[in-house]
Amino acid sequence: MKFPRPLLCFGLVLPCVLFSACKDKNAVQVYRVSKGESDAAAPGNSAPESPGTGVMPAMGAPAEPGAPASVQPPQVTGTPPSNWEARPLSAMRQASYLVKGDNGATADISLVILAGPAGGALDNINRWLSQLGQPEITAEQLAKIARHVASPLGDATVVDLEGLPQGGDAAKDGRIVAGIISGDSRSFFFKMRGNAALAESQKEAFIQWIGTMRQGESAPPAGPVSGAEAVSPAASVAATEPVSATCPVAGATPVAGPATCPVAGTAPAADSEKPRIKWEAPAGWKPGATSAMRQASFSVAGQDGESADISVSVLGGDGGGDLENVNRWRDQIGLGNVEAGELKALVVPVACHDGEIFTVDMAGPKARMLVGWAKVDGKSWFFKLIAPDRLAGGEKAGFEKFLRSVQFHP
Amino acid sequence: MAHRFFDFISSLKLTIVCLSAAMILVFVGTLAQVNFGIHEVQERYFQSLVVWWPAGSQGLRIPVFPGGHLIGGVLLVNLVAAHLRRFRWSWSKLGIHLTHAGLIILLAGGLFTDLFSVESFMRLAPGETKNYSEDSRAVELVVVDGSDKEFEQVTAIPEERLKRGGTIALASLPFRIIVRHFYQNSQLQPLDQAGPNAVPAASQGVGARVAVSELPRATAQNEGDLVSAVIEIAPVPGPDVPPSPGTWLVSGQLDTPQTFSFAGKPWRLAMRQARYYKPFSLTLKKFTHERYPGTQIPKNFASSATLNDPERNESRDVLIYMNHPLRYRGETFFQSGFEENEAATILQVVYNPSFIAPYLACVIVGVGLLFQLTWHFVGFLRRRKTHPAK
Repeated sequence: MKFPRPLLCFGLVLPCVLFSACKDKNAVQVYRVSKGESDAAAPGNSAPESPGTGVMPAMGAPAEPGAPASVQPPQVTGTPPSNWEARPLSAMRQASYLVKGDNGATADISLVILAGPAGGALDNINRWLSQLGQPEITAEQLAKIARHVASPLGDATVVDLEGLPQGGDAAKDGRIVAGIISGDSRSFFFKMRGNAALAESQKEAFIQWIGTMRQGESAPPAGPVSGAEAVSPAASVAATEPVSATCPVAGATPVAGPATCPVAGTAPAADSEKPRIKWEAPAGWKPGATSAMRQASFSVAGQDGESADISVSVLGGDGGGDLENVNRWRDQIGLGNVEAGELKALVVPVACHDGEIFTVDMAGPKARMLVGWAKVDGKSWFFKLIAPDRLAGGEKAGFEKFLRSVQFHP
Repeated sequence: MAHRFFDFISSLKLTIVCLSAAMILVFVGTLAQVNFGIHEVQERYFQSLVVWWPAGSQGLRIPVFPGGHLIGGVLLVNLVAAHLRRFRWSWSKLGIHLTHAGLIILLAGGLFTDLFSVESFMRLAPGETKNYSEDSRAVELVVVDGSDKEFEQVTAIPEERLKRGGTIALASLPFRIIVRHFYQNSQLQPLDQAGPNAVPAASQGVGARVAVSELPRATAQNEGDLVSAVIEIAPVPGPDVPPSPGTWLVSGQLDTPQTFSFAGKPWRLAMRQARYYKPFSLTLKKFTHERYPGTQIPKNFASSATLNDPERNESRDVLIYMNHPLRYRGETFFQSGFEENEAATILQVVYNPSFIAPYLACVIVGVGLLFQLTWHFVGFLRRRKTHPAK
């Protein structure tokens, strides 16, 4: 039996047809997720690039709120009013509610807990004022407008801020009623933002809610949870949630005002992808300004106007490689490069709370540098002290004590 | 003409040429791993139609040798054509037909795996739930529209698109993204540490305080590139054009998204590992890591998880451990590894629509060979019976 020629052709062409139907894995994806939880939803359609420069209507059907992702258990509980609808939590939000009024008016209510003073009341209130398009206020002005509410968690500073930002939707914006309980170890930010009249009507209920807050188990939801029970953190917090001015993580929107780092410091985690770390700095170290690349800064004054600069920074991955980094640091203080074989002899491991930090002590003609680094959870942490030789030598014991106090997983 | 083409495509000479070319390609590709690393070599030599020279150049390139896909594809077509052309049905040839069919399935399966399979990983800490896996090598630029009160619209632009450069105009964005620089592998340094001649990578955000330098591609198996790009958010030309928010540095090294405002709306930018979303989620209940007593040698590590599929109304507990993966909705979740101190489990997620092909091919080839040997052996016995040895 001879095989028919058409069937032979079909057999040869079929693979080509199948391959041409191959889905392009490199297509641009457009999808929607629940507010603040961009980790948690399924993607919609692929959007082709539009030819030219015209703007086309958004493509892709609205995606449903996705499956729940990571969440930390609530650390405090309170009793919300029955008309508040519970909303999905995130790593930032320990409580989240939505209240609805007439004519589509809504107000969003949240509780965010951050480590340390997290910038303090004035800086955060001024940031909220800027979100409402209002000018900043001074500490004296704040003292006049603030109201104090007693709560089991501490004394809450409550403010009522009004203003509609340019282009804002009056049905959903125009007023922020907020309460701040600021402490050395952590701070609580209660915030209601939404339609001005609705926020006014909910103001007393909001303040009462703050008064019911206490340490404990999960807060009972006030109403049906819309969407997922809990969803993962998203990138949204930078613009909408309190950001610590003390140790902002790289890339976070800088907070106006003087930036200070607590002596017992914590780099706050705005979401689960951001680093958490704790340490105890020696008493003589003076906290300094942070930057996008610095998780924390300290300085130490020595004799004859000498000063030491201490920094904590974090980079993704291996941070550029040990040998490359060490040689770069050596170059900064006027030392020549070392080979890979020589590096091993220079490195001294120091045990910290939950791991090991590798250190080098390098004295060059320009300065002396003490550096510690550790790779944790796919990130590289760098602790660096640079100072004149004598001052660096005097601070070495304190620096090593500082390294030993580091907790990467507090 | 058609006859000559079929003669050529089904000829044994073509088979020999293809097999020789494949041997040379494997040999050269193996040596090239020293300089390029295994992943780069796979892309350049084996997952391509042709091998280009000079490698990695953006300018003029010359095809110097057939790539793995071309050789494998021609070999597959050659085998199919030869088999169909010479096909004559008889019981005595059944074993050979089966063996050839098995080889065809093996070759086609290999090609399909190369083209369609996706490997990614899912990192889960205890109690954590995820409905996506991440690509360990590819990144994506995400642009998030956070103006809606309830939803965020995410536009994910793949690394390959950024690599092409130029202007990206998308229906989901009211502005264009112009890729000013793309760095396949890079190093970010604070400006104050990057030397006197360092310049800011971008005009806005972290990029204004950071210098970027290009690095050679990472070649070691346990290393990866740090992909970065400098992009410009450019208004669409027309009346009432809002001011440009400037240029931004996006990099896998920056953990936190950067924010900007365009036409009164808040937007966020971030470069992250490419994500593959799924219609179901996994929640890690517990991760166990057993060691042989008195040693650090792993005896067993397992992930106890809950699978939740709202579409299928399915919620059940699953146990994933070594050699016992979870197969669900066409994907296979292997217990791949874990982080230090058992802080998280790492599952390898493999989507391979033709994973059955090698198993099927081996069975068919085995049956074919067994049949052919048995057929000849029976024939031999019969001949001996008919013509006994003297």
